[in-house]
Amino acid sequence: MSQHYSPLCRRAVEARVDKIVNSKLVKALLILACLALLGFGLALVIAYKNALGWVLVGCAAIPFEILIWGKYELKEIPEGKGENVNDLLSNECLQHLGHKPTPQDVAKWFYKTRSGGFLAMRYAITPRMMEAVTSRMSSDIEPIFAKAIEVREKTNSEFISGGVLTIAIIECCPEYEQILKSMKLEISDLYDGIVWFNYLYDLVKGLNLKRRTGGFARDLMFGYTPLLQRYAINISRQHESTRGGNVSVSLHREHLEQMIDIFSKGGRQNVAIIGPEGSGRGTLVDEFASEILNADNKISSRIKFRQIFKLDASALISGAGERGELEALMTRILNEAFLAKNVILWLDNAQLFFEEATGSVDISNVLLPVLEGGRLRIIMTMDQQRYLEIAARKAALANALNKIMVEQANEEETFKVMQDRVPILEYQNNATYTFWSLREAYRLSERYVHDLVMPGRALNLLEAAGHYAVNGFVTDASVQEAVEKTFGVKMQASQDNVEREKLLNMESLIHKRLIGQDMAVTAVSDALRRSAAGVRNEGRPIGTFLFLGPTGVGKTELAKAISEVYFGGESQIVRIDLNEYVSPDDVSRLIADAATDELSLTAQVMKHPFSVVLLDEIEKAHPLVLTTLLQLLDEGILRDVKNREVSFRDTIVVATSNAGANKIRDYIDQGLDMSQIKEQLTNDLISGGEFKPEFLNRFDEICVFQPLDKDALFTIVDLIIAGVNKTLEPRKISVTLEPEAKALLVERGYDPKLGARPMRRIVSKTVENIVARSVLAGATDSGDTIAINEDMIKAAL
Amino acid sequence: MLAVSFLQWWYSRGWGIYFRGFRERMRNLADFFSIGLLLRTLFQPFRQISADETGETGGIQGALIAFFDRLLSRFIGCVVRIGIIVAGIIAMTVQLVGGCLLALLWPCVPLVPFIGIAICMMGVTF
Repeated sequence: MSQHYSPLCRRAVEARVDKIVNSKLVKALLILACLALLGFGLALVIAYKNALGWVLVGCAAIPFEILIWGKYELKEIPEGKGENVNDLLSNECLQHLGHKPTPQDVAKWFYKTRSGGFLAMRYAITPRMMEAVTSRMSSDIEPIFAKAIEVREKTNSEFISGGVLTIAIIECCPEYEQILKSMKLEISDLYDGIVWFNYLYDLVKGLNLKRRTGGFARDLMFGYTPLLQRYAINISRQHESTRGGNVSVSLHREHLEQMIDIFSKGGRQNVAIIGPEGSGRGTLVDEFASEILNADNKISSRIKFRQIFKLDASALISGAGERGELEALMTRILNEAFLAKNVILWLDNAQLFFEEATGSVDISNVLLPVLEGGRLRIIMTMDQQRYLEIAARKAALANALNKIMVEQANEEETFKVMQDRVPILEYQNNATYTFWSLREAYRLSERYVHDLVMPGRALNLLEAAGHYAVNGFVTDASVQEAVEKTFGVKMQASQDNVEREKLLNMESLIHKRLIGQDMAVTAVSDALRRSAAGVRNEGRPIGTFLFLGPTGVGKTELAKAISEVYFGGESQIVRIDLNEYVSPDDVSRLIADAATDELSLTAQVMKHPFSVVLLDEIEKAHPLVLTTLLQLLDEGILRDVKNREVSFRDTIVVATSNAGANKIRDYIDQGLDMSQIKEQLTNDLISGGEFKPEFLNRFDEICVFQPLDKDALFTIVDLIIAGVNKTLEPRKISVTLEPEAKALLVERGYDPKLGARPMRRIVSKTVENIVARSVLAGATDSGDTIAINEDMIKAAL
Repeated sequence: MLAVSFLQWWYSRGWGIYFRGFRERMRNLADFFSIGLLLRTLFQPFRQISADETGETGGIQGALIAFFDRLLSRFIGCVVRIGIIVAGIIAMTVQLVGGCLLALLWPCVPLVPFIGIAICMMGVTF
């Protein structure tokens, strides 16, 4: 079909007239003309007895008619009867299209239309980018119009709007996939954008409609509810003031109909909405409240205009002094709700009413007869686990409930809910949410928000991201910043050069405090670089390493060095000495609830999700403990005793072991290189029964630490002395070692079995004591340098 | 062409839009006065007030007290409701008459300039 645009078609002409008539100035002039003609006309007729005034009065109808026409017809010119572009273009597009439009002309004004502006703001489609992909040939516009008709159909749009034309232009560009890829977009994302716009546009249109909620005399037939006013919140009252249609029910339509069905018919008048936190249980009740309050909805008069009161457990507990009083108060409240005839009670977190604990109270004795009687309408919301616990304790109660199971939303549903919530968030934060912010909120919430399910977890993050808007826009970077600030996690390598340099020179930075062990240092540095560049598997920890080697060779020191260099300080290290986990019972201590044991592995990682996890002396742990750690190493997830997921996906897991340490020196003496030693040692550990193969296989890398030789110890002495000087820095005193003194320290501090550990003790015993004595004797003052020679060391020893 | 478009709209869609708006206003008014609801619940007790809902205070005397109590409440409810319904009907009638007059005047509006000219030519003055 030819898609020839005719600028003289009726709709195009009317659209151009609309542009004039509905401009503020012309509207004001028309009103003025109407009043002036009417006034002068009547004045002529009445005051001057001049019949010509009737002509003026009659002519006053002309500007009036134009105003009416402009308001009710020209503003929203309906689509034409055909399927031609002239019949389908939106008013806004018709106003902007000139007599011979070219694709580039459209690129210049598309963002001035509502839907085009929407795409421009949320998908960063700029006029410059559009102009770059469009031609100046007017003949090229027809294929774009043809494509626009297709886009309109696919997106179920009423008109070919500015946004639809934008997509058509992009799709007509031969290399559009490449262009979109550079923007991290796909064409389907833009289609979704139009659907999103249409939805919001309809929502805004609905806000202009008056909502009918039964009128001022609606509640005359229902009783007074003074107790409920005090101990509960009237949810329906909040929805009464909302203009427009019902709140969105995209996610819960099926459950909503189920609720209406249960309450519309006879039988037990209760609903237990059971689902995990964040699945939208509360929203479902809100939607139900809104639905039954809408006079236009065709629902049973048994529930129409009923008021939902959310009982406040804490207000109830504080309102009643003792237990007996609470039950009496609850009975009075239930009676009041029943007698009022229009009350639906909502027990949010219903477990609070069925168990004895802080902030909750067991009043099942009062509630059970009411639930079984089924005369008072009650809604309960709770999570699955709590429901199972209550059901196990009170089978009669569980049997008396009409259950509605709410599952977590899938990706598509979550996006819909996020899009639904965006206008409110934008209003609250005075910022525009881009498409990428939604996508990032979904992706990152899946990874970092563990106490909620979708869509609650994504909404949670999206809301937090609003505080990190830049120039009025909430972008994917805002979401990442929210994650960084909320969870203390480093999302990406910082864009600044300092961070980049640090990553590129990780090895040399680590070697500032660790001597040798190049294999392990390189392995760890590579893992950190992969993580920072975003090329690692995000479903696992940043890296998992098993450090094997004798004591004192730098295994723990390397973990500390990583923590300092990359994770922001030695405090970001979670250290678990597994020699304390030698029995099967210790597993529960390892994964204890954070609320009861703050030192458990799960509790510490919950507090420091971005850290080095150091599992010291792993060979001493009970096999059951090692089995528990398998999922951690594999998927980066460990479940605590309460079955909550704790993410280790932003940690480096370092396990250290002395197992097989004695053999390393033998293998070195035999002349094996490090890779051969590693292979040999691994086989030894498996055949010796120290570790199971499936456990060792879970590590990204097994790093064998070499015993330190005397040369390495010379450098270590320098490092230790540098540490001493750092300690003395505030007193402006420094220490130097003469070569003979250093040689003596190495001689005395070297022990092949204990590595560098004795060296630190020797330095403490000699150098630090010499400095201390000198300072106390007044021989050294600020700004002095203490040169230590061999004799001084000998004397100190 | 514009004049034709305008006249076409005025006597077809425009008139329809007016009627739809009129109907909405009537429905809003009926909703505001809760007329349908009040009619359906005309004899319900006023705000469910009654001294003894079930007559459990004892025997025939208690039941009788409860019965008359509810009867009184229903009577009060009925009087209040009828009052509101009457007020609502008056308001709706005013709106209905006004709306119908405007609906009748609607087709005449485009003719008003010509009517003005005609009156002028007739030389009518006050």
